[in-house]
Amino acid sequence: MNLLEAFIYSAIIALIAGTVLPLLYHSKNSRKASFVLSFLSSILLLIFAGIILYTGKEPSFPAFRFLPGLDFTLATDRLSAGFILLIAAVTLGVSIYSVEYVEHAKSEARKDIQAALTNLFILSMLMVVLAGNMVGFLVFWEIMSLSSLMLVLHDYTSEENKKAGLFYFIMTSLSTAFLFMGFMSLFSLTGSAEFGQLDYPTSSLTLPFLCLFTGFGIKAGLVPFHKWLPYAHPAAPSSISALMSGVMLKVAIYGFLRFLLSVATPELWWGTLILIAGTLSAILGVIYAIKESDIKRLLAYSSIENIGIIFTGIGLYLIFKLEGVESLALLSLVGACFHAFNHALFKSLLFLGAGSVVHATGTRNIEAFGGLIKRMPYTATLFLIGSVSIAGLPPTSGFVSELMIFQVYFNSSAIPDPLLKVLLIITLSVFALTSALAAALFVKLFGITFLALPRTKYAHEATEVPKPMLLGETIPAAFCILSGLFSSRILALLGFDLGIPDMLLLGLILAAACGLVWLAVRNSGPAKARMSKETWGCGILAQHPTMEYTSAGFSEPLVVIFKKIYRTEISSTRIYSDTRESIFKNGTARIHLIKFFEERLYLPVASAVSLVSSQVSKMQNGKLDTYVLYVFIAVLTLMTFTRYFA
Amino acid sequence: MISSFLADPAFLEDIIRILFVFVLITAAFTLSTRNIASLLTVYAVQSLLLVLIAEFLYLIEGNKTLLAIAVLTLVSKVMLIPLFINLIGEKIKISRDLKFNYLEPTASLLVSMGLILLAYVFLSGFFNEYVLGKLFFMGAVIGLSLTLMGMLVIFSRRKVITKAIGYLTMENGVLLFGIFVADLPFIIEILIVIDLMILVLLTTILAIGLDSTIEEYHQHLQTLKIWSGRDN
Repeated sequence: MNLLEAFIYSAIIALIAGTVLPLLYHSKNSRKASFVLSFLSSILLLIFAGIILYTGKEPSFPAFRFLPGLDFTLATDRLSAGFILLIAAVTLGVSIYSVEYVEHAKSEARKDIQAALTNLFILSMLMVVLAGNMVGFLVFWEIMSLSSLMLVLHDYTSEENKKAGLFYFIMTSLSTAFLFMGFMSLFSLTGSAEFGQLDYPTSSLTLPFLCLFTGFGIKAGLVPFHKWLPYAHPAAPSSISALMSGVMLKVAIYGFLRFLLSVATPELWWGTLILIAGTLSAILGVIYAIKESDIKRLLAYSSIENIGIIFTGIGLYLIFKLEGVESLALLSLVGACFHAFNHALFKSLLFLGAGSVVHATGTRNIEAFGGLIKRMPYTATLFLIGSVSIAGLPPTSGFVSELMIFQVYFNSSAIPDPLLKVLLIITLSVFALTSALAAALFVKLFGITFLALPRTKYAHEATEVPKPMLLGETIPAAFCILSGLFSSRILALLGFDLGIPDMLLLGLILAAACGLVWLAVRNSGPAKARMSKETWGCGILAQHPTMEYTSAGFSEPLVVIFKKIYRTEISSTRIYSDTRESIFKNGTARIHLIKFFEERLYLPVASAVSLVSSQVSKMQNGKLDTYVLYVFIAVLTLMTFTRYFA
Repeated sequence: MISSFLADPAFLEDIIRILFVFVLITAAFTLSTRNIASLLTVYAVQSLLLVLIAEFLYLIEGNKTLLAIAVLTLVSKVMLIPLFINLIGEKIKISRDLKFNYLEPTASLLVSMGLILLAYVFLSGFFNEYVLGKLFFMGAVIGLSLTLMGMLVIFSRRKVITKAIGYLTMENGVLLFGIFVADLPFIIEILIVIDLMILVLLTTILAIGLDSTIEEYHQHLQTLKIWSGRDN
């Protein structure tokens, strides 16, 4: 066994031990040990993935035999190593955060289960990425789905969470069903369950592509399959939301990339489809997020936006690859992967931060927050780093990956096809709008949550969270800044020379400029001109929280602009006392926000399925005679079939 | 003189063909007879016919297994099982099974004609044309249709006892099929007979324990329904 194998096996064993330990010994210490184990395994995985990414070595592992004919193999290459790095980086922070966070669960049993399932969840995601063939992939994919489902249902007594769990369960099962179909059709094509080069005509790959695109799209939260995210994330504990949004969505992206990169000759419409779906997800995600005032739901919508950005990158990669512009194709692919990595970090940071805020105030409603920066200064600083990064501001990592995608767009004039050019210009403008709206979104989120005065007594009484939780948030925050500052060096180390600006230099210039401005402001003008007083409140003597911007108020202008997309329905009924309708008696008025996808897409499909099932269920009438009749008819049909058709 | 007839294969084959017709007639009775005592007699007669068929076939082919099957069938199906069921019948004091599910006797008879045709058409697909008139082919067809008719009895009749007889008829069909086509090993024959004994014992428990109809058993099945549908 060489060093690499030793690393990966000990990481897996540590995660298994972390799963089992809290179930065997029900104590605070065993939970702590379980998270220490996941922390250790993530360090091992970081080293493992780092070595593979740096050396480009592709170690192969011996196969385990599941069942006769079904081998389970582990395999790693640079793609999976990149995603292992992502898993490890997020786990690092989450495991420290959870040590303290898990202790706030309602009962001892729930604490143990949460600790165990967190480890299982991490393990299953790791194994999906490590799986060398479809069998292992699907098995661990399902374990991943089920363990996360149980974590979403962690607080299963609440009605809202039950609904979220059911929603998530249905969507994730659909995702697995599509993946299964996709893999089966690939299997029937290649005759092998191994992942490998798919050198087949595109026509025979259309069905697998569509199935896998849908399956992975559902899991990644691509519009229009995104509705489970805003339900599941608020229901799950925050550390789990961080893992789900940060890692699980990326595992879906990994699966999709694994398929896409193995196809020798993809087709242009694939790229166009992915690009359009990505752009649509990005813009709709951020537009829905702006209106949201539940902090975790807002972050969930923002995840949809970022998944959209990643898919945009993937779509651009395909388009440029097929148009023969290799340099841009590489840039967009690396951009997409780097954004996946960055999003994992800042979104887990934001979810952990949101968890701290919710923990301190006891509510998820942004309208109830305010002034938390004075009460939770460290959380606020860390949350600010996350917000800056997700808004794509330099010198953080979010800026770099979005910049890469923008660079691809800016250089797209190399493409001769006029129709494609138009498409790229349209998607570019939507993409730019997305970035701007994302910045506005996080100005709102940070401003309403942390600045000004507390709006409620919950916010007023909030206190800083315990140190482990802060430390857990510090790790992804540090990653956000470091991977931003050293982005060009990191990418160069991995062998990508993409011509992106040196962020370290930019960061230094930025810092120097800020310092100079501060010095200039401080030293210019007479010292007397400076006063430290309360902000002028229009002559009103006491400042009051009701004077502040509310979350809804802040987003109102944007809501007005995008009124068409939100599709509010205003309806009213009036009852009159007389027949001529002149004396008004009473009536109702209602402003209803149409949940477009839910009401126009999900519900019709669901009711159609329900209708069919209720028809089918009539066949199950609970009578023995009927069942024998079915057997009888089946036998006769089989006989007729074999005689005439087989 | 009789012995010279018994040595003549052509004569024996004719006899067996006649016995086939009788087997079909007993099956028709099983489908339509309402009186349980006569149903039982019909079953015993049907089994006896099988014994005779096996016997005559032994005379033609000289295969000892056939003789063993004949003896086994005589003991178990002509004597023991009818005796058992008769005991149950006396205990539960039900002499008639009047109601039918899905198919009334007339319709059942029509359907069973269709079944014989289907069995013929189905099996003819597997053999050459010149085999179609051969004895073993006819045996297979009759065996298969007897099995299907037994199944018809199971779902079209209400009482547990008649259902059990339907099952026994099915097994007779399998036996007939086995004698002519598949050449079942004798040990499997014995195992099947043991199964039948157990079936009859279970039927006893079911019939006496549950008041002879399986309505209550249905209620148990009802509780197994997973999806109750939206509108009920």
